[in-house]
Amino acid sequence: MNTFYFVIQQTMFFAIPLLIVAIGGMYAERSGVINIALEGIMVMGAFTGIFFINIFQSSLSGQMLLLLAILVSGVTGGVFSLLHAFAAINMKADQTISGTALNMFAPAFAIFVARMIQGVQQIQFTDTFHISKVPVLGDIPIIGDLFFQNCYVTTYVGILIFIIATIVINNTRFGLRLRACGEHPGAADSVGVNVTKIRYAGTVISGILAGIGGLVFVIPTSTNFNGSVAGYGFLALAVLIFGQWRSGKIFFAAFFFGIMKTLASAYSAIPLLKDLPIPKDVYKMIPYIATLIILAFLSKNSQAPKAEGIPYDKGSR
Amino acid sequence: MKRKKLFQGEGIVNFSSSLMAIIAGLLFGLIILLISNPSQAWNGFMMIIQGGFTDGISGIGNVLYTATPIIMTGLSVGFAFKTGLFNIGASGQFTMGAFAAVLVGVKMTFLPAGLHWVVALIAAMAAGAVWGFVPGLLKACLNVNEVISSIMMNYIGMYGVNMAIQEFCYDQVKNQSLPVAAGANLPRAGLDKLFPGTNLNTGILIAVIFAVIVYIVLNKTTFGYELKACGQNPSASKYAGINAKRNVILSMVIAGALAGLGGALLYLANSGRYLQVLDVIAAEGFNGIAVALLGLSNPIGILFAGLFIGHITVGGYNMQLFDFVPEVIDMIIAAIIYCGALSLLFKEMIHKFQQKRTKKSAANGKGDK
Amino acid sequence: MREGTKVDYVIEMNHITKQFGDFKANDDITLQVKKGEIHALLGENGAGKSTLMSVLFGLYQPEGGQIKLNGKEVKINNPNDANDLGIGMVHQHFKLVHNFTVLESIVLGRETIRHGFLKMDEARKKIMELSERYKFKIDPDAYISDITVGMQQRVEILKMLYCDNDILIFDEPTAVLTPQEIEELMKVMKQLVEEGKSIIFITHKLNEIKAVANRCTVLRKGRYIGTIDVAETSKEAMSEMMVGRKVSFIVEKGRQKLGDVALEVKDLVMKSKTSGKNAVNHVSFQARKGEILCIAGIDGNGQSELVYGITGMAPLDGGQVFMNGKEITQESIRQKCKDGMAHIPEDRHKDGLVLDFTLQENLVLQTYYEKRFQSHGFIRFDKIHTYAEELIKQFDIRSSQGAVSQARGMSGGNQQKAIIARELDRNPEVVVAVQPVRGLDVGAIEYIHKQLVRQRDEGKAVLLVSLELDEVMNVSDRILVMYEGEIVADVVPGEVTVEELGLYMAGAKRSVGNEA
Repeated sequence: MNTFYFVIQQTMFFAIPLLIVAIGGMYAERSGVINIALEGIMVMGAFTGIFFINIFQSSLSGQMLLLLAILVSGVTGGVFSLLHAFAAINMKADQTISGTALNMFAPAFAIFVARMIQGVQQIQFTDTFHISKVPVLGDIPIIGDLFFQNCYVTTYVGILIFIIATIVINNTRFGLRLRACGEHPGAADSVGVNVTKIRYAGTVISGILAGIGGLVFVIPTSTNFNGSVAGYGFLALAVLIFGQWRSGKIFFAAFFFGIMKTLASAYSAIPLLKDLPIPKDVYKMIPYIATLIILAFLSKNSQAPKAEGIPYDKGSR
Repeated sequence: MKRKKLFQGEGIVNFSSSLMAIIAGLLFGLIILLISNPSQAWNGFMMIIQGGFTDGISGIGNVLYTATPIIMTGLSVGFAFKTGLFNIGASGQFTMGAFAAVLVGVKMTFLPAGLHWVVALIAAMAAGAVWGFVPGLLKACLNVNEVISSIMMNYIGMYGVNMAIQEFCYDQVKNQSLPVAAGANLPRAGLDKLFPGTNLNTGILIAVIFAVIVYIVLNKTTFGYELKACGQNPSASKYAGINAKRNVILSMVIAGALAGLGGALLYLANSGRYLQVLDVIAAEGFNGIAVALLGLSNPIGILFAGLFIGHITVGGYNMQLFDFVPEVIDMIIAAIIYCGALSLLFKEMIHKFQQKRTKKSAANGKGDK
Repeated sequence: MREGTKVDYVIEMNHITKQFGDFKANDDITLQVKKGEIHALLGENGAGKSTLMSVLFGLYQPEGGQIKLNGKEVKINNPNDANDLGIGMVHQHFKLVHNFTVLESIVLGRETIRHGFLKMDEARKKIMELSERYKFKIDPDAYISDITVGMQQRVEILKMLYCDNDILIFDEPTAVLTPQEIEELMKVMKQLVEEGKSIIFITHKLNEIKAVANRCTVLRKGRYIGTIDVAETSKEAMSEMMVGRKVSFIVEKGRQKLGDVALEVKDLVMKSKTSGKNAVNHVSFQARKGEILCIAGIDGNGQSELVYGITGMAPLDGGQVFMNGKEITQESIRQKCKDGMAHIPEDRHKDGLVLDFTLQENLVLQTYYEKRFQSHGFIRFDKIHTYAEELIKQFDIRSSQGAVSQARGMSGGNQQKAIIARELDRNPEVVVAVQPVRGLDVGAIEYIHKQLVRQRDEGKAVLLVSLELDEVMNVSDRILVMYEGEIVADVVPGEVTVEELGLYMAGAKRSVGNEA
């Protein structure tokens, strides 16, 4: 039972950032902009967030510091994604190319700044955020063990973001218009919806969430930041496709990958797996191989937004 | 005659748009340097600009050496672009090729010296081809987005190679691959004498030869015609009876082979570089994307773009003299790619400008009559 | 400054000029619409009708001219402005999101909200009332992709009525409808006008103008030709204004010399990609040498899928195809090509051309690998060039730089000519032509019809898929009507009326395949 609790708790650490970032990706793509730069934006968000913690951890600590850091990461991600939005929406550039540029830029920038300022590229931080047991809730049998022990506040932030994001895209005016822009921007334009604005909003939301996701990924799994989020942005894209661009399915996809990733990183703590004569690199490969296989089954009938990746041109009708 | 003129016009437009992107990227780099350390910024920037030339003839040799693998990955990405595919998996293909070459170099010592490196190169191309084949097959038969699948292949390749090195050719002390046999190293053919103090070898010549071959295949053959048709309009090429699926797979296989060869050319250079057992995706693949974009997917353009990136990369190393971190080069490359994405627009502007001018002169001509 | 203009006209567009680069899409055009009238806007494809309406709707800003609403000058910067002024439009290509419900589609852009959330109940009530008033029988919760084209058009009309527009623009609304649906639409239009709304009716069909319009403004090649009173003007006069010369609507054909069966389709089945139904449901027919066999029907009744099945663009789910007695069902597209099948595709940009290739490269799209154009895998560009120049001369394909012009830069008519040149020069046995004249002007239409008739006279079988009843009646020797994936009629043009055809097309009547 303890192993089971452990796996679930670990799964949260991996699944929540994937969930946040994939939901962000959903906002960009359903507004019609392909955001392959999620990886780079995560790096930027994690970088500024951790750097913020590094600077202020002498005067602040605990959940307040973490929440402020999340804010910093989100703002960074949002600002950084503006570059992509400008290229993709105003300049009608190839969205894959501009996304690739951001992906290249972010780690170089993080390492460059870290080394220019503190000499080494790793940014250390002290983990004062770990919650061994949430008061009251942590005492509930089973559920308390599963979700309210050995956890981080980021988990609840992630779930909250997911719920809000789901409601906004399905039940608000903004959500309706965003969906229209991703499927048929001409239709949205003809009834006076400003496609440019909506697509900017979608891209910036994806940037904010990816920035937060970067920080949320680093906090529980490490005590330093090394200019990398280990391909999580790309995995989030896979989650987005696996989830067929719909928030509910994305939720399950994210947790599926979370479990895969947990098995890969924590197999040595799971008695059953530890004894198997499988090299550690095989475990590391599992999430990626699983992605490939799942994509192979799912890609035939894709529900991708019809207009994603296509710059909107008023002239062509 | 008319055609030639047209081609030149197009070439100039492409060239100037790339040039604009480069200038913008370099300016961006200068700004970064100015912000981080104003007093040394100019010196550092000049190091980047001078690149290989700082160290005279050996510096140029270093540029050629640095450029070799990224020309190959650039050709790989560019070739796939021509077929309408974005081969972001050049990293994995590169790593697989490098490993295959090293494995042949370490294990197959029974091969005669003249043949050993050739076999290693062929093995590298085959390994890269296999790594390109998977996303190609998935794309052609199951409509899997090749960007995502090749990213996954990058990770699978990296972990797989890490595991295989430890299994087959591991230097435990240094946590890296064993050195290859002397016969597996690429012949130097006197290039090390021509450029003393460098690791230069025939690798650069092989890269140039492949650039020319790719150019000929794309522009002069029916196969190239088919590939480009598939890339520009898959639907119409199907309509024309071209086997689009086969071409998608072939294109990815060839792209993979080119990237794989790049891996071999780097790790068979006898330069003291070994495959490290690290959880890091090979940077050469992503630099290949930069090279391909900068070279506008034209094989000859890619050749020069590779040399340019090699040039400023060498400059980046030299810049450490002034306490700058070489990552600034990656930032500059990223900025160049970004501006390159915008410069498609810039290109259109030039076109419009040209059209207006020709129209105007035509109108004037009419007026005279 | 005549007196009374300010009360007479609800909309005035005076001296509108709109340029795209050097091309004047609208050159000094004037359109004046009276309150409570149906005002037709007549012109060929490319005459500037859609551009003019886009200006009125705020999608484009004109370089010159003014727009007056009820006598007051107004500035329309975007569709919102147009909507605020009470101008609404049913676009030729519907502006509907395929995975939205009818309700969502109608409220998009004018949503009502409560506490930030969408509030749909009032909207639903209003829509149901409107639907009842005009007998639209609409289901507000159906998805757009699940309803018929006719229903989609009603959704578009409801969109305008929902926000109380008084000036309604209908852009080629009848192109996608059956004759019966057209009649119903006309009734709705008349009802709307009676209620005090004003309608601008864009079309190139003279019968419809005669049926409903009060006045008509004619455009030609971006210029204003004139405004006429419909009741006092003959169709012939209107068509002459539209085209600029006398037009004979009769396609000249020689006497038919029927030969053997060239193309035979047996029990062909194609499953639908979107629903579980068969898009083509056990279709069998024969086309003989020397005949133009027309497949008529409303768009989306399986014609495209049928053609895809015959030409090999999509795999069959059952049945056989024979050409000159030889089974070609499983053959590759290239082999069918070699056997003598020519295919003029429905969508010339998607299927017919590689737009970034040059004209000459496009002219050898299926033949580049033949001995005459390649040696040892290398393309012989010189031979391709000479060949292209020949075709260009023979088929009068015009472009800015001849054989080396980019296909993208060519006009629609010339692109289509290039495809036809390529297909017909291969000396085919069977020509499959899908809507070959769509979007072209009268000159190009006449030319292409002549080419098809020539093929027929030379003893080829021509399979013509058409949505235009005029084309069906004038060009074909025999008509098959498709409805919901089945052939429901096999008739001869002289022996059937347009009304009858309409009943077949709507599925209200059936003369063949009536088994249980």
